[in-house]
Amino acid sequence: MTTLRLLIVLLITLGTLSKANAAGPDCSRPYTLALHDHGLLYSAATDTGIDKDVADELIRRSGCKVTTSLMARARIWQLIESGALDFSLSGITNTERDKFASFAWYFSNKYYLLVRKDSGVRAQTDFAQNDKLQLGVIRSFRYSPSANHLVDKLQAADRVSQAGGLAPLYQALMLGDIQGMIIEPFDYPTLEEKRIRAITTVIEFNDPSIAHGLIMSKAALPPTEQEKWRTLVNGMRSDGTMRRIFEKYFKPDLAAAMVDFQSP
Amino acid sequence: MPAPRLLLPWLILLTMLGTTWFVWNHERQNARNELHAQFDFALRETVSRIDQRVAAYEQMLRGVQGLFATTPMTNRNAVRDYVETLGLDANFSGIQAITVIERVPSSDKAAHVAAMRRFGFTGYAIFPEGAREIYAPIIQREPDVKRDRTPIGFDAWADPVRRLAMQQARDSGLPAITGKLQLRIDKDADPIPGFIMYLPIFVPDQPRENVAQRRDHLIGWVSASFRMRDFMASLYGRPTPGLALAIYDDVTPSDAALMYGNAEAASRHPPASGNELRAREYMVVGGHTWMLTLATQAEFADHFASNSAFVIAVAGTGLSLSMALLAWFMITGRARALRLAAEMTRELRHMAQHDSLTGLPNRVLFSDRVQHELAYAKRHGERFAMIFFDLDKFKSINDNHGHAVGDMLLRQAAERLQKAVRASDTVSRIGGDEFVVLMGELVAANAALALAEKIRQAVRHPYSIDGRELTISCSVGVAIYPDDGDNEVALFKSADEAMYRAKEDGRDSIRLAA
Repeated sequence: MTTLRLLIVLLITLGTLSKANAAGPDCSRPYTLALHDHGLLYSAATDTGIDKDVADELIRRSGCKVTTSLMARARIWQLIESGALDFSLSGITNTERDKFASFAWYFSNKYYLLVRKDSGVRAQTDFAQNDKLQLGVIRSFRYSPSANHLVDKLQAADRVSQAGGLAPLYQALMLGDIQGMIIEPFDYPTLEEKRIRAITTVIEFNDPSIAHGLIMSKAALPPTEQEKWRTLVNGMRSDGTMRRIFEKYFKPDLAAAMVDFQSP
Repeated sequence: MPAPRLLLPWLILLTMLGTTWFVWNHERQNARNELHAQFDFALRETVSRIDQRVAAYEQMLRGVQGLFATTPMTNRNAVRDYVETLGLDANFSGIQAITVIERVPSSDKAAHVAAMRRFGFTGYAIFPEGAREIYAPIIQREPDVKRDRTPIGFDAWADPVRRLAMQQARDSGLPAITGKLQLRIDKDADPIPGFIMYLPIFVPDQPRENVAQRRDHLIGWVSASFRMRDFMASLYGRPTPGLALAIYDDVTPSDAALMYGNAEAASRHPPASGNELRAREYMVVGGHTWMLTLATQAEFADHFASNSAFVIAVAGTGLSLSMALLAWFMITGRARALRLAAEMTRELRHMAQHDSLTGLPNRVLFSDRVQHELAYAKRHGERFAMIFFDLDKFKSINDNHGHAVGDMLLRQAAERLQKAVRASDTVSRIGGDEFVVLMGELVAANAALALAEKIRQAVRHPYSIDGRELTISCSVGVAIYPDDGDNEVALFKSADEAMYRAKEDGRDSIRLAA
């Protein structure tokens, strides 16, 4: 009897395990995931950041072999589109990106215009009105609707300087070569924060929060696989893992505001 | 309503010019946008070409890094063979050297030097001299070309610019490049901007998940050194013509930070006619920032601009003018026809009432004036005179000198007559050499005689015709209303009779009607 019962328990356990495996992503091939150096999301200098933590946890849960590397954001989007890269993190969508990428949302935040105090900009509209002001942006970055509108308008007027990353934009802002840039809550470099805050003002864009998520290449992953990875991300959200990761980097209330949102 | 009708061509002209302006402006905008797009593309392309090249060199260096996962750093032959198989040909002409650097804590310095000497580098020493906590001497340099090479043993860690990149590579585990520097191999030459790319080497099979682990397990670096101008020359693809490109170390565009300027940037051509496009881009290369500036020159605009805006402007203006002119012709056609008809009528009427030779009123018009004068004189009880005169022996002039000369004489005589009379008097030619003057508002018969005498004198002056001098006289008869007749026919008859009497009395004289 005891043996039989044990056998039944074993069979049930095995059954559940195989079921669990069937629900997980297909690990028959190694995957690629790219991070980009961007404030608290990821710092290459220290190889740490929110995205790094999210990636590590996601890889652990998937049980798959995933090679992570560091790339410029513009190159990440290019490779996601071609299917050469499977994943990246903290992506926001638009109509064009929806064609080649699928997303698993895990946080949302607002966008802000960071301007030098000496530029005389008090409201968001002031920036566009003063022809002398130059905006710095990271190549291939998109933002919330009002911010996108501002960037496109200034771009057409030759008033945008492109950058490959956040660090040179802060340097240029400190030097006064650019007078403004668009930032997110995780964009302050920890070292320079005090000096930057001293000479700048933050102006909020009047847009709702924008969802950020795991970027999945549609060319590389079939919809069923995308759904499995999305389930993993949702699992990290529902069991509080995501909030714990964000609480490592932000005060609890801001962390909560970022991770508790309605998926679009 | 001629005014509003005549506005139409102007309206058409304005509308069409307006449309032309709109199309021209649109096209100009298009051309500007196109130029912009080309410029943006060129900037993106330039950044991308540099990125790709850096990535290629990174990959190559990762190969050397990978080698040390399987063999110790001191395996000089392995490194030499490996670099040899890379075949650093023209494709990698940007690279000056690949070096292997060992991390030597001060405690291991003596052992390290001794070991290097045992390898056969008898004079080996770490330089610059001095006691430091950590040394990072170059222990191997490949390809090992002896010429112009400084001996191995140079402590890269002692140089702050190199040290910064080495630290960055160590802490991140990723490739890192230095700021602008003069390579050791160029140390005796004129300043040639260069940079070095470092990759860390860790103890194999040890964790390197975080900064602390990476610092603990670092054993050295591999590096590749570049002269900036050779690096730029090794880029793939063709640069866009007419663009001045400069690359600065970090984010400040100063001469001290200038790493590279292409021929266009160096020559400082005049910018494209005031519409210069400029952009700067902050590239992040191997964790280091390069600022790239790009500016268009005339050649760029010439290369990409289209002249369709100019064609539109010229064609549009021409068409507008033609259309307006056409409209004007169509609208004014009737008016001009009417004006022509009126002019012709006036001319015909003039011809019907005037003598074609002298332009004086003819018999018809003269009669009309006499009727008017009669009516007026009758009503107001006034007097007027009719003065008849005939050129004496005019026929002989015609016979002797021809009709052409006779006609000219008649014309000159007519001019003199017109000058002699008052503006209100009418002079008329009524026959071959017969003239008659209607003199209104006559106060006394004497006034008529005085005018007759004035005319007679005027006619008697010599005439110069075709170089010939001719003289002629006239016989004059004067009739006064109402004394010599109370109607036109009677007055004519009286004057005519008086004139004949003058002829009979020997010509060149004046007779008053009896």
